Amino acid sequence: MSTGSWWPGARLVAGRALAEGGSSKSWRIVTLLMLLAGLAVAIVPRLLGSQTPQYTLGVVGDVPAGLSTQLQGAAALGDFTVNIATYPDAAAAEQAVRDGDADAALVETDGAGTLYVSADGSATFPAIVSQAVLADRITTTLQGYGLSATEIAAIRATPPPEQVPVGKVANEGRAAVGMVVGIVLYLTLILTGTTIATAVATEKTTRISEVLLAVLRPTQLLVGTVIGVGVLGLAQVAAVGVPAGIAVLTGSSFDLPTAAVGDIALGLVWFVLGICVYAFLFAAMATLVQKVTEVGSAILPVNVLLIGSYLLAVIVTIQDPNSPVSVAASLFPFSAPLVMPVRWASGLVPAWQLGLAFVLAAGAAVGLALLASRIYARGLTLSGRRVKLREAISG
Amino acid sequence: MALQAVGLTQRFGDRVALAGVDMTVRPGVLTGLLGPNGAGKTTLMRVMLGVIEPDAGEVLLDGRAVGFRDRQRWGYMPQDRGLYPLMPAGDQLVYMARLHGLDKSEATDRARSVMAELGLADRWDERVDKLSGGMQQRLQLGAAIVHDPDVIVLDEPFAGLDPVAVEELSVTLRDRVTAGRTVVFSSHQLDLVQDLCEEIVMIHQGRTVLAGLVADLRAASGRRQLRLGLDPGAPRDWLAAFPDVTVAADQVDAVRLEIPPWVDPLAVLDAARAAGPVTDFGLDLPTLSEMFLDAVGDRAALSEGAHA
Repeated sequence: MSTGSWWPGARLVAGRALAEGGSSKSWRIVTLLMLLAGLAVAIVPRLLGSQTPQYTLGVVGDVPAGLSTQLQGAAALGDFTVNIATYPDAAAAEQAVRDGDADAALVETDGAGTLYVSADGSATFPAIVSQAVLADRITTTLQGYGLSATEIAAIRATPPPEQVPVGKVANEGRAAVGMVVGIVLYLTLILTGTTIATAVATEKTTRISEVLLAVLRPTQLLVGTVIGVGVLGLAQVAAVGVPAGIAVLTGSSFDLPTAAVGDIALGLVWFVLGICVYAFLFAAMATLVQKVTEVGSAILPVNVLLIGSYLLAVIVTIQDPNSPVSVAASLFPFSAPLVMPVRWASGLVPAWQLGLAFVLAAGAAVGLALLASRIYARGLTLSGRRVKLREAISG
Repeated sequence: MALQAVGLTQRFGDRVALAGVDMTVRPGVLTGLLGPNGAGKTTLMRVMLGVIEPDAGEVLLDGRAVGFRDRQRWGYMPQDRGLYPLMPAGDQLVYMARLHGLDKSEATDRARSVMAELGLADRWDERVDKLSGGMQQRLQLGAAIVHDPDVIVLDEPFAGLDPVAVEELSVTLRDRVTAGRTVVFSSHQLDLVQDLCEEIVMIHQGRTVLAGLVADLRAASGRRQLRLGLDPGAPRDWLAAFPDVTVAADQVDAVRLEIPPWVDPLAVLDAARAAGPVTDFGLDLPTLSEMFLDAVGDRAALSEGAHA
């Protein structure tokens, strides 16, 4: 059998499945919803406006120039903005903090000062103001000792210890993207698998498969159907993924690191791998039916595998991406398509594990496709009753 | 192209569907594959089409084994349905034609001409499940012949058709046969297709029990009945001259006589006319049903003999 004669037949089958699925109302509606969800990721943050925190510092009288410079420098580094509000006296400044009009109020009296802070507010801004005041005073003191501006700058350049976040994930935002990728993959895999199963069962029960098997090899029919319906599923994943990815890249979406674009792209790759692992099984199980209405029960075992993997991903892996269970599930071919993209978004997965998961899933897909095409070829020709799986495999 | 099945055997678990079936279909001769429900007709067709691999035996085309590529030039119509319910009628035929190797424009041309031939020209864009039952049956035939196949195999094409549709279908098939195509169809309604096919293969319980040209088989069956219309109450005593002739049915104004091969039916007719007026007469050859029952009866006797 040459590729030259195999592929044209499979391509015809795929083209037909693509045309019929693409013109169906249900596919169009779901894809439109996916697209809207993707656009929402891009547009909603713009509507919500800037996420940059704003702090108000209350002062009495003029603010020392040095302090103002210090605060603006800290604001630029820490990605927040500072407003200065002037009050006539200490009592008014104190009241402003109490009322929540100011986040902190600084009252300075000859080298000593008081910082009024909200009793139940965040400690971040007061700490920043304290540090700025301190730095300003040290500068003044050092100038008093006759140090040059260069010397003072050198002293002040002493870096603070670097902070390393040591949470379960490298970035909470990215982890959230991973979870959404997991949900989208689960929905589209289930949907695509069910569509493939229904298409196969329809072909068998209408005996179209008999006409087709007289001119096509079972593998052409199987692979063609999987490609056609798979492309429709991929389009749905892309409908939500592409706008979301562009939004992350252009920085218009929340406060996500650009690595999240990679997580979204990886989701597309895992969809293709997931289809390769699952679609052939869906198709094979669907050939065992006698009536189209039996599809649901026929594909139940495959659905259970998918649902189990999804639950692992959103319950276990989200909580602890590097627990032994998560690592194992992200490598096991059946659960990898759902668990690995979620785990990868934690940012703490060694690249070799991703590579290994790819290889294992691809290898399993080849094996499953071979097993499935055997069941498929047998199942399609055993008609008139519900076929047992064992019969289709051993026959 | 002569299509041949030789010693085809097919088991499904403990059930033997085909027990060494032989069949020959010649081009230019409309051939019926006949037998009761469950005789193995559909299984035989599926084996010939390569949908299932037989346990033993082979399918030959002009004397050599049929390959996958040969079947590109075949057309197959399975029993009922065989169409995508949601697909537009015209697209369906184009798809089938392309699966059989035609390019897109050729497939479209062929599909249009077949749709026109079958009276479906204005239904090109209509979804299959919106067509009437009769139109679906015609479209299904269209799907089997759209690529102008050399070999056409139809499973129970006449089942459920009204007399007009039977006539239309047989005209379509006969056109193909006249053009030199190899056409075989199956049917369990033996008497319905009696006048449609020229050659028959009868199978029963997975075996060939009778095969050949219908005319030859009927003539050679040795079963002939002479039907005579007589005056009411006319005597039958002239029959005494023919001791080998038996009375199959005797009514007040007609008699049906079983004529053995060695008796000349014309001599019997002459004797009847000599005895009194004959108002009507006819020589009836056995129907396909009767021939089938004879063949099966003989086979039953044969296998009993073998066991004794």
